Amino acid sequence: MAELTVTRRYDFPPEKVFDAWLDPAVARRFLFTTSKSEVVVCEIDARVGGRFNIVDRREGQEDIVHVGEYLEIARPRRLVFTFGVPQFDPTMTRVTIDIRREGAGCELVLTHDDVPPEWVEQDREGWTMILESLSRELA
Amino acid sequence: MLDTTLTALADPTRRAILARLAAGEARVTDVAAPFPISLNSVSKHIRMLERADLVRRRVQGRDHYLTLNPKPLDEAADWIERHRRLWTATLDRLDAVLQEDDHG
Repeated sequence: MAELTVTRRYDFPPEKVFDAWLDPAVARRFLFTTSKSEVVVCEIDARVGGRFNIVDRREGQEDIVHVGEYLEIARPRRLVFTFGVPQFDPTMTRVTIDIRREGAGCELVLTHDDVPPEWVEQDREGWTMILESLSRELA
Repeated sequence: MLDTTLTALADPTRRAILARLAAGEARVTDVAAPFPISLNSVSKHIRMLERADLVRRRVQGRDHYLTLNPKPLDEAADWIERHRRLWTATLDRLDAVLQEDDHG
């Protein structure tokens, strides 16, 4: 099961950090874009079952269309959505954002996995570790 | 492709087979020996690994030799690395955006 986790601390309350992901005016400045590109479409239907469509344009390159659907919206603790870039790969993956209050700020843990739901209960051993140790052995 | 790789890896017996082959080429019978399941069951796992192109088979006389093909593993590791970079940059940008709004 491919799974990766990235953790980050913010000096802002959980509500502010959470809302950034669902407010198109804020999201278009950080989500699915880079310092060298610009979001030209940012549609967010912020309800469970609602979809997003974020198009990033980079000078002289094909537009990159990011799509997905919201699976869970529990402000300000948890946001779960599917995510894919159909022009590169038809698979949809899943992103889970957990936000925990910490003093005046918060800690955000983002988990991205490409595990189809039917696998989830199958095998919870972190194969990432095995993959990494195998890669090390092969290197 | 990544899906096939991950399905192949989502089983402890198959991971053990890969770990064994990471040490070098081995005969099917030798690979199967440590497992408390039938040669037939191990063969099914091996065929699944072959379909995922994680394992390749070479036949010499009556012996079948297996080797590990690391390329799909590299691709899976690459997927993880690429997305780790994507999200690290995204979370950093989010911080920059919040700081900007706070000071602006």
